[in-house]
Amino acid sequence: MKKIIILIALVFFMPATAALAHKVIVFAWVEQGQIHVEGSFGSDRPAKNCTITVKTPEGILVHQGITDTQGLYSFALPEGLDSDLILELNAGTGHSGQWTLPKDELSLESSPENLKNKMAQKQSLEKSPSLVRIAAGIAVIFILAFLVSFVKKRKKGRHNA
Amino acid sequence: MHISEGILSGQVLAAGAAITIVGTAMGLKKIDYDQMVHVAILASAFFVASLIHVNIGPVSVHLILNGVVGLLLGMAAFPAIVTALVLQSLFFQYGGLTALGANAVVMAVPAVLVHFLFLPLLGKSPRLTFVGGFLAGFVSIGLSSLLMALALWFTNEDFLKTCIAIISAHVPVMVIEGIITGFCVSFLLKVYPEIIPLRKSR
Repeated sequence: MKKIIILIALVFFMPATAALAHKVIVFAWVEQGQIHVEGSFGSDRPAKNCTITVKTPEGILVHQGITDTQGLYSFALPEGLDSDLILELNAGTGHSGQWTLPKDELSLESSPENLKNKMAQKQSLEKSPSLVRIAAGIAVIFILAFLVSFVKKRKKGRHNA
Repeated sequence: MHISEGILSGQVLAAGAAITIVGTAMGLKKIDYDQMVHVAILASAFFVASLIHVNIGPVSVHLILNGVVGLLLGMAAFPAIVTALVLQSLFFQYGGLTALGANAVVMAVPAVLVHFLFLPLLGKSPRLTFVGGFLAGFVSIGLSSLLMALALWFTNEDFLKTCIAIISAHVPVMVIEGIITGFCVSFLLKVYPEIIPLRKSR
């Protein structure tokens, strides 16, 4: 039992050394007539030289570009567009991410407060998984293991009977 | 190593899902009641390993640990890996539920293969145990990279360049995981030999 507890503790504290996420995060906002796109693999890891494809929900290509070394890309707001925009970042090797800009955001000029909210939203997306989520995931695994062993034990009991 | 949603074709996703269902069912059938704690511990290790990332040039790779999970669990690695992948998708937004089958095949099939290939090396001598562990970690990542490359290649031929990129990007991870798995099984054989299936059956 002591050995099992040590092993569980090792597993639980393992991410403490380098707990950083690995997912493609795309974020876009409108500012001064421009659409700004930022791609990353989490905080401080920009998605460099990645393709940005901008489409309407119907799949019509609106714009295409490539992120710079900071994972940023900006382009002028397309004129006469009356639909949402879907921005897709392709990071290669099977990794991609999407962000949808609703059409009402495209027509609005961002206020400083609106921009502040957007940046807060971006930061929350880039956050590394919290310890609570990691612990919850491990707890789910052990609960499932308990359920499977319970079912197996019952089956074994029936066979023996 | 998680393939994102919307990348793979319907056929590849369907094939991945079918193999995953069969593999998981076989794995669940094989799991022994006494083995459940080990399965849970190793599934947890797999679940958190993806949070440890290494930046290699423009590519970001992370630890996978499917080698050690497969080596110690055999067929039971399939449900362990599938469970961890579902939770990674829900809690960390890695991969995605539609790509779950393909991701599970990419990571679980090599895990099961290394169990049959390298388990006989464990416990014969300290050196052979380390070599067996190293090869399990190294080969499982190599095979996973190959399967991921194949999945992308079956989807779109343009991915061929990406495929070479995947395999070359994962060479350092192969070495790192080989060393980790080698030390891990050597350590476990000393402090908790019951977790090694070969030792248990003796």
